[in-house]
Amino acid sequence: MSLVARQLALRAGSRTLVDALDLTLEPGEVLGILGANGAGKSTLLAVLAGLALPVRGEVALDGEPLAALPPLVRAQHIGLLPQADEGGFLGSVAAFVALGHYPFDATPDLAPLLAAWELADLAQRPLATLSGGERQRARLAQLAVQRPRIALLDEPLTHLDPAHQARLLAWARSEADAGRSVVLTLHDPNWAACHCDRLLFLHGDGRWQLGTPATLLTPDALEGLYGPGTAALWRQGDRGQPV
Amino acid sequence: MAGTLPADRELAQQILAELRAPRVAAAFACGGLLALAGALMQTLFRNPLAEPYLLGVSGGAGLLALLGMAAGLAWPWVSGLAFAGSLLALTLAAALGGRMLARDHTPLLLAGVMLAAGFGALIALVLSVAPAERLPGMLFFLMGDLAWAGNAPLLWTALLLALAAALALARRLDVLQLSPLKAASLGVAVAPTRWALFGLAGACTALVVAQAGSIGFVGLMVPHALRRLGFAGHRLLLPAAALAGGSLLVLADALARTVIEPRELPVGVLTALIGVPLMLWLLRRP
Repeated sequence: MSLVARQLALRAGSRTLVDALDLTLEPGEVLGILGANGAGKSTLLAVLAGLALPVRGEVALDGEPLAALPPLVRAQHIGLLPQADEGGFLGSVAAFVALGHYPFDATPDLAPLLAAWELADLAQRPLATLSGGERQRARLAQLAVQRPRIALLDEPLTHLDPAHQARLLAWARSEADAGRSVVLTLHDPNWAACHCDRLLFLHGDGRWQLGTPATLLTPDALEGLYGPGTAALWRQGDRGQPV
Repeated sequence: MAGTLPADRELAQQILAELRAPRVAAAFACGGLLALAGALMQTLFRNPLAEPYLLGVSGGAGLLALLGMAAGLAWPWVSGLAFAGSLLALTLAAALGGRMLARDHTPLLLAGVMLAAGFGALIALVLSVAPAERLPGMLFFLMGDLAWAGNAPLLWTALLLALAAALALARRLDVLQLSPLKAASLGVAVAPTRWALFGLAGACTALVVAQAGSIGFVGLMVPHALRRLGFAGHRLLLPAAALAGGSLLVLADALARTVIEPRELPVGVLTALIGVPLMLWLLRRP
């Protein structure tokens, strides 16, 4: 059950990005998506979130096609952290984070979440006055308020210092341990090797590979994905070590 | 008024009840509608500098109203033409720029700005060829003038209905301040909500312009200032904008009537004269 994509085809203009992708998201897993710029990672996340339609194929949540779900019901199960910034928001950090609770009726207790993302001291500041990393933490906290069963994060490591990358990792792992699924796009093979249960490689020309880090992450596969000379970025020896 | 003759007092009371009170009521409703429309436009375009006339409403209304005035039509006709011109501008903006509204509001914004520029040129053309004796009336319409705003009950009904409709959307509008993709992921139907904003703000603006011409600055300054002062949530922002917009326009109109008594100034001159220093002072606040 959970989120199932069948025979997905994604295109950008006339270019096929992904072809015939079959993906079943297991409860309790962290899935990393890797691929070059423009390979279709963000497009795939939007399709998995039910916010864009694939050229072919379909995505279903518990057997129900996403296109048939009312938007609010969908938002109670699936959350997305997009890359775009929240430039238009003029309110406080606390008000921004609280918007994550929109799909639900009750008022959330924000204090523990703000503390968890080290935003308690910033809570009353206007969001616009925060640094890039602080704002990214506010966006993550907003997603954490929504508490989606399927969390889709587009480059969540952006702007985060190592301590907060570790915080993000701990959050993703605790979500997975609670039976939820976390999908994230990222560019760091080391991070992917250490912290993802499964990886999806998108080659940007329709081809894709799905497997465990142990089987997929080889120097040849990385050069196949990113181009010659890129395998040097990967420290194979650190594999499996915590951050 | 102490010491005046009884007949004078009666006249004064009559003026107060039949001329002043309806005009003050109309001024408040116009100001409230404009500020409300401005707040909705700022949320629609995710830009605190958006304002009610961004989509060419004042241009469309101004063009048709001026053509009516040049042809020597009476005010009810001119008012009707102004309303029709507003709807024309809104329809053109929607038809030319509305197709991607679910994801991107830029085409709608561009269409509106282009329409406003086109209408502006045509208005200048009408002004330059119109009979000289009609020019003052035309200028008063373009600056906005509450002397025409005769239908206070209609304006008040519209204000209350629009405020209620906008408040019903308030929580959704809070989310709409995020990027369209994020708002959609939280369960907001972005395109229908944006069209509702477009329609609501457009209707408020068209109604005011047809009653009192293109009163400027209230629709930009009031909601912008309130946002700067910390009114970020729409549940408070929208009623606060209506209240503050109404109050500002009542004040501006009182000054417009009295500053160079017995002559009157277009109220738009006063809204700007009050608004510009206030806005500059707000900008200097940390």
